[in-house]
Amino acid sequence: MNIGLTHYLILGAVLFVTGLVCMASKRNAIGVLMGVELVLNAANINFLAFARYNQTFAIEGMVFTLFVIVMAAAEAAIALAIVLNFYNNHVSVDVDAAEELRG
Amino acid sequence: MSNPGFLYVIATLLPLASFLLLFAGGKRWPGRVGGLIAVGGIGGAFVCSLIGFLLFLGAMPKHGHHDDHAKGAAVQATTPAAGSGTQPTATKPAEPGKEEAAATKPAEAAHGHGHAHAHADDHDHDSFAWKGSLSWVALTGFGSDDGGLDIRLGYYIDSLGAIMFLMVTFIASLIHIFALGYMSEELQPTVEDHQAHVTRKGRFPRFFMWFSLFCFSMLNLVLADNLFQVFVSWELVGVCSFGLIGFYYERQSATNAANKAFITNRVGDAGFIIGLLILWTQCGTLTFHTTTETVTTRSGRQVEKVKQLGIFDALRAPEHDTHKDPIKEHGQFVRVRHITEDDDHLLQMNPAGDHVVIWDKATLNGHFHGPDEKGRFEAYLSDRDGGHGHGMKTMPYWMLVLAGVGIFLGCVGKSAQFPLQVWLPDAMEGPTPVSALVHSATMVAAGVYLVGRVYPLFAPEVLLTIAYVGAITAFIAATIAIVQTDIKKVLAYSTVSQLGFMMLGLGVGGWVYGLFHLLTHAFFKALLFLGSGSVIHGCHHEQEMTKMGGLHAKMRTTSLTMLVGVLAICGTPLFSGWYSKDGIIVAALSFASLNPEHMALFLLPLIGAGITAFYMFRLWFVTFTPRDEHVYEHAHESPRVMTVPLIILAVCSVVVAWGPRPWDVQGSALEHFVHHSQPESLKVDTGINLNTAVLQAEPDSARAENVIANTFARDSWLHPLTVKLGWGPHDLAGLLALVVAGLGVLLSFAVYYWRVFDPQETRERFPWAYDLFQNKWHFDALYSALLVRPTLVVGYWCKAFDQKVIDGLIHGLAHLTVLVSRFDGKVDNGLVDGLVNLTGRVVFGVGDWLKGAQTGLIRNYVLFMAVAAVGIFAVVSYVLAMAG
Repeated sequence: MNIGLTHYLILGAVLFVTGLVCMASKRNAIGVLMGVELVLNAANINFLAFARYNQTFAIEGMVFTLFVIVMAAAEAAIALAIVLNFYNNHVSVDVDAAEELRG
Repeated sequence: MSNPGFLYVIATLLPLASFLLLFAGGKRWPGRVGGLIAVGGIGGAFVCSLIGFLLFLGAMPKHGHHDDHAKGAAVQATTPAAGSGTQPTATKPAEPGKEEAAATKPAEAAHGHGHAHAHADDHDHDSFAWKGSLSWVALTGFGSDDGGLDIRLGYYIDSLGAIMFLMVTFIASLIHIFALGYMSEELQPTVEDHQAHVTRKGRFPRFFMWFSLFCFSMLNLVLADNLFQVFVSWELVGVCSFGLIGFYYERQSATNAANKAFITNRVGDAGFIIGLLILWTQCGTLTFHTTTETVTTRSGRQVEKVKQLGIFDALRAPEHDTHKDPIKEHGQFVRVRHITEDDDHLLQMNPAGDHVVIWDKATLNGHFHGPDEKGRFEAYLSDRDGGHGHGMKTMPYWMLVLAGVGIFLGCVGKSAQFPLQVWLPDAMEGPTPVSALVHSATMVAAGVYLVGRVYPLFAPEVLLTIAYVGAITAFIAATIAIVQTDIKKVLAYSTVSQLGFMMLGLGVGGWVYGLFHLLTHAFFKALLFLGSGSVIHGCHHEQEMTKMGGLHAKMRTTSLTMLVGVLAICGTPLFSGWYSKDGIIVAALSFASLNPEHMALFLLPLIGAGITAFYMFRLWFVTFTPRDEHVYEHAHESPRVMTVPLIILAVCSVVVAWGPRPWDVQGSALEHFVHHSQPESLKVDTGINLNTAVLQAEPDSARAENVIANTFARDSWLHPLTVKLGWGPHDLAGLLALVVAGLGVLLSFAVYYWRVFDPQETRERFPWAYDLFQNKWHFDALYSALLVRPTLVVGYWCKAFDQKVIDGLIHGLAHLTVLVSRFDGKVDNGLVDGLVNLTGRVVFGVGDWLKGAQTGLIRNYVLFMAVAAVGIFAVVSYVLAMAG
């Protein structure tokens, strides 16, 4: 069985959905962040798969992947800072406690 | 200023200044200050007029008209040689005298401009005057040439203007002084008006304010050098008379009289405006006299050009054409017919032509010939079509007549002539000094003065109209005066009658005598009115002569001065009225002798003169001689401020017309002075002009133009009188006038002094005549039936129409509007507001509903995002799939 583009895309889709479900279901803020990482990495897999199998995107896919990794690191730093502040205020990392923005 | 005319401008403006002063602060000044200001204004004007008059006498050319003409002939003789080389001189018959004159002026003949100077001098001597003007309203863009339509403010002082100024300011000054005494009741803080039964404030300054404006208006009218300025003053005079006649405006009769005077004058002024519009449209100018300027042409010659065309020169033929050939018809209206010959449009001279040539600026400054041997006019005008003849402007003859009649109608209204005479007697409602001013120096004088001033505009038909109107007025007013018992009304009707005499004199060609009588009449009529004012003042405002009698003993000064006035108005020899009235009667007889079909023009005024003598003596007898009944007990002589003007006026009424030999009825110095302004056209006018007869009678006499003939003309039916007795009009008319006046006086003596007849019995014997005269020939009833009542009926109809139809319509519209508004309000409240509110409510509901989606839970948001992403994906996929 040849591993082709489709398989990568399926893997990416599975990872994406996993991350999405993780974001939607976890009450722990850290867990939500993890879900975000999963979604980003699913995107990365798609970028790389397209870079590998489509010559048009050979360079662009990799560069975008690098961008996404860097961005994810920055996002994680900021998000963790928010979480720490959140913890200082609420003595909890439960995102359901953060409902002050409710309409 | 190149001439002393500015003195007259100052004299005009002084009363205006006192008017403005009184208008601004009259009420604040105590006592007689207001009156003194007015007296100062008019007195200053009198001083200016007097200085101006003396300067005028000094500046006036000394030689007579005869010399002028000799000189004129000499000037004309130099013309062919001096004027232009192109015109052949041989075509004209050379007279020995003219050749000689030409030979005596070789220097002028050699120089091209010699003629222009000589001509200018000649022209000045013909009508010596001080002139000046400034542009007032310039209507640029209307005329083809610059300044063509230009309304100007100016002064024109000839001997008529100078003497009018002197007369008006002198008499007005005396009346002002008299009024200081007469109006003294108004000085009290409160005055009780016994006729209107009200108590009101004193109005001393107000009276003098109107007086000053009145004098200003009249002086400006005399000063004016154009018809428009005259018209402005004319209306101002009307307004002032309205204010003064209605001075006691608490009295219904006074306000009615003021309205009557004003409205009657409007009728005349409508005619005046029509006349002005015709002249303005046809001639493009309203200025009286032409001004010229000397222009240097391109070839270096100096040519005299018309700068501002005068209205008389626009209608009367000029002295010579542009080739300096004399025009035979100089000074006449040139009546023409339009004819076409060889495709040329020509003007054929014809005494019955339906058009009159207008000598406009373009023609006079252009190139035109006098009539050729066939009597045809040609003009070559560069700025017109350059063709033959039809470059010359014409106007329909009937329009000229209409303009003349229109302007005369204005004078009829102002001077209270038939059929507009009804206002003047009612105007007696004003204070007596007002009556004196209105009747002598201002209002009514304005009409006669204007007829004299614009005399050259009147076609023969108009002059005949003027003569008949004057004769009828003189007679009718005299008959009415017989039965009046109000002392002022007798004088009012005598004024109307005397004004009729003046108009008659003007109409039959006695220009000088009409205006001469205006001047002398002003003096004795002012005297009579002030005398009656003194009587009324002395009798505590009693005006009915029937309640007076025997006043001579109590008011000696008033009585004697009034006797002088009565004698003057009757035409007693050596009194001023004698000279002027005699002239008018003579003029009428001369005219009637040439035109027997117009004999009424002589008979009516002759009878009128007799009646005048009768009723004036009646007035004096009834007022001053003792009677058995009704003697007024409390009468007293008036204060000095009132009697002194009376004495001055009485002296003037006697001596004002005297000449070097007072017993010579033709030798009046005043008459000769007025004569200097006599219009040129009077001497040459054909048709019904009196002086034509004079010229025929005495072709060689130097006095032919100055004085009425002493013989009857050869073609007159009265010529045998001259042949057999050596009598002229003067002898016959003078004798008749004296006899008739003497009869009138005798009758008056018989009835009111010797009591031979009982007036009551006479009245009962001729009830129809008494009825006719007492009801003023039923003019008031006639106008009431013909004009006033129909107007009122129309007015009531209009009122009913207004109240029923127009008001109903407006009320209906209002109701409709309210209904529509009510419906509109409902729509607005229900529909429009409902829609707007519904929108709001829907938006609110949707917002409220969507609010639930914003939970604040991140997990929900993620879920929404995922679902939305899937949804969008599905939709996009579907759309793309459908699109193929």
